[in-house]
Amino acid sequence: MANLAVAYFFLTSAFVAKTAAKEGIVAQLSLLLGGVLIAGFAILLARECVRMFAPADAPTEA
Amino acid sequence: MTWLLVVAGLALAVLGVMAVLGQAGSGAQPWSASLSDNFVLIKTLPFILGLGVAVGLLMARTYGPKIRSDGAIRRWSPGTVFGHAVLTIGFVLALPTGMWQYLGGILDVHPPFPLYLLYRIHYIGAAIVLFAVAAFMSYLWMTGDRSLLIGRGQWGRHLLGLAYELPPPIRAPYAKLLRVDLSQPRPTTGQFTFYEKVVEFPSWSILLALITITGIIKAARYLVPVPGFVLFVASTLHVAAMVGIVVKLLDHLRYTFPRWPLMAAMTTTWVNERYARLRHPGWQQAPQGGASPERRQGAGEPSGSGAPGVAGGSDR
Repeated sequence: MANLAVAYFFLTSAFVAKTAAKEGIVAQLSLLLGGVLIAGFAILLARECVRMFAPADAPTEA
Repeated sequence: MTWLLVVAGLALAVLGVMAVLGQAGSGAQPWSASLSDNFVLIKTLPFILGLGVAVGLLMARTYGPKIRSDGAIRRWSPGTVFGHAVLTIGFVLALPTGMWQYLGGILDVHPPFPLYLLYRIHYIGAAIVLFAVAAFMSYLWMTGDRSLLIGRGQWGRHLLGLAYELPPPIRAPYAKLLRVDLSQPRPTTGQFTFYEKVVEFPSWSILLALITITGIIKAARYLVPVPGFVLFVASTLHVAAMVGIVVKLLDHLRYTFPRWPLMAAMTTTWVNERYARLRHPGWQQAPQGGASPERRQGAGEPSGSGAPGVAGGSDR
């Protein structure tokens, strides 16, 4: 959840943060990319955690 | 002799850090708390790195293959486990505080406590990370351990092995992109999985190098003149490395949680015989004296069949 919160701040800052807007499009795109990556991997990690506690009835992929 | 070096390194580090802290706490310096902490970090750095090198020598003494009477195999040396734990502590301190500083600046939000406290924890974490990096460099230098590196002529085999460890939806696009021939049999997994060797170790090495070098440049800027452009690039790359480490950390946990015996091995150093036989069949033969399948395949022999118990594309 903390990671998703960080991702949320990255993503929203890419569009609304004044500092990033002043620094230019590269800074905004970096925030956007960072936010997407953090959110994506946070979801993948959460999925693995859920799988770990779920009954193992079928083999799963890496 | 190694112990002597470590004790001497520890004594020098303690004396050095005490002298630097004594200067900072004397009240004679005109700097702010934050700037003073910055000076403390950069002035203690040689002592921290020196101690790291000395401890790395000690860590190297724990290196070597071992098999327990119950068949369990040592996957990581106690030195590596120690270094990994220290690095983890460093990141636990440095990463959230670094993220707070960055996001605080971007969002223009000020913490409800003095900012220098945040920087102080960040610097302590950074010092621990630098100590661990120096220790690992010294450890790898002394042991000559290159088991996590991919040897010459081995890339094709490793990319093929990685393909079989990837989820099926991305296996075919990956194979097409890197021209990996999926009609070839799956190579056997050795001591480390193909994902660990192709993705984990290289990415961690690059990120660690990037964050430490750029961090040192940033920390040294009040001690030595650093051109504005160099500082700008270093600061940008430092933040990029921080985001990269957060992403890699999530991926690292995603990968290791389902392979709990490997996670446990990073604390106990051991992997039980059954798990090693099922998931790392190419590794087990090496400590017993025979050439590992990894080496035999590298010598030009045809690859073996898929690892037993891992059919279906997963190494779990």
